[in-house]
Amino acid sequence: MTNRPDERRDEAENSTGTRSTERSLLSRARFLALLGGGAAVAFLGTRVLSAAGGWRINTVERPTPRFDLEDYRLVIDGLVERPMTLSYDELRELPAVRQVSDFHCVEGWGVDDVQWDGVRLQTIIDLARPTSEAGFITFHSLGDVYRDSLSLQQAGLPDAMIAYDMDGSPLTPDHGLPLRTVMPRMFGYKGAKWLTRIEFRSEQDIGYWQERGWRIDAWINA
Amino acid sequence: MTRLPDTTAESDAMVRRFEVPTRLVHWLLAAPFVLLLLTGLTNFEPGLKATQVGGVRVFAWLHVVIGFAALGGAVLALLQLSRRSARTDLEALADVSLDDYLWFQHEAITLAGGRSIGPRVGKFNAGQKVNAVVSAGATVALLGTGIVLGINYVSKSVFDASFVESVFPWHTTIALLFIPVLLGHLYLAVLNPSTRESLQGITRGIVRRDWARRHHPAWLDDLEG
Repeated sequence: MTNRPDERRDEAENSTGTRSTERSLLSRARFLALLGGGAAVAFLGTRVLSAAGGWRINTVERPTPRFDLEDYRLVIDGLVERPMTLSYDELRELPAVRQVSDFHCVEGWGVDDVQWDGVRLQTIIDLARPTSEAGFITFHSLGDVYRDSLSLQQAGLPDAMIAYDMDGSPLTPDHGLPLRTVMPRMFGYKGAKWLTRIEFRSEQDIGYWQERGWRIDAWINA
Repeated sequence: MTRLPDTTAESDAMVRRFEVPTRLVHWLLAAPFVLLLLTGLTNFEPGLKATQVGGVRVFAWLHVVIGFAALGGAVLALLQLSRRSARTDLEALADVSLDDYLWFQHEAITLAGGRSIGPRVGKFNAGQKVNAVVSAGATVALLGTGIVLGINYVSKSVFDASFVESVFPWHTTIALLFIPVLLGHLYLAVLNPSTRESLQGITRGIVRRDWARRHHPAWLDDLEG
């Protein structure tokens, strides 16, 4: 058997005892290092969990889209009588609502009692005045990689909104700064983040995940 | 006195520690566990998590597929208990006595720089027994919660979303808390000089006789009659 040098040393020390069990299996330094390492890993793990606050970040775009809020514009267009472009400040001047609702992800996790500040989608509908052909709304994320859609009836539900604040502060980049769709009665993939365009259409758009086999109407079964 | 050439040196130097069934149990559980831990951890890096192959997020998919395979592995592991050698090892793990308390006491005293004579350790020391119980508990808990999450991955209409959401944090928390235990286990088995000989036992099934005499003297006594 070829032993590594430190093992030979360990065994040499061992052989001085009358009984093999007189010596600990681990040197004190190794034990303390192991204990410290284990505690650090456990601490890091719980930090990661609590920092996330129950959220898991999902995106299909890396790196996370970043906006200069000065240059940000929300475009509302398509089959509407009054297309418009809003700056971030103008967006925050629209009639605002605050709601507390639960968030459910299709992956099986959820976050209860999220406080959202923003604008009812019904308010946007009333402002833009969709034409009679319009039946659906497509929400476009920055770069137009991610999109999802709702019918006008779904968007008119009393808890459907676009939100710029979460839990009392502006959205973080991971959560969709500056603006995201909030649709509490459906799974979270319906809530496009980094919202740049709200487009009224006559037919329902097939969203990013629906192209990959997910349901268009993502009602939560609980 | 003339010494005869020792023709049995090779076999005398080594002693059989684990038969095939016990080693199978270990690796049937350990191999998927490590893969599941790695694929599961991608949840905390959005870029990795977003990696897709053919419109499917590949790490989530792998996690579920390996998870169901691990379930099959666990069933195969349980079937190994029909073998006497595996049952004997399980009984040795479950054989808890005052000596196990004394073993921890001895380790604590010597680590603190004191002198102590510990108990004569059998096939498993008390630390190994605790590791086995904790690992088995974590495995059962992760497989149990994982079944719910895996089925929910396939179909959202089996369980209520609220039930799935109550299971999800347990799965994550148990997995994260087990990481230090696993790292400690790996350290002792692979790196720590005085204990790493044990790795041979779970891979090749044999360990050095002199190592066994130092670390598991009561077991070796039984073996040698």
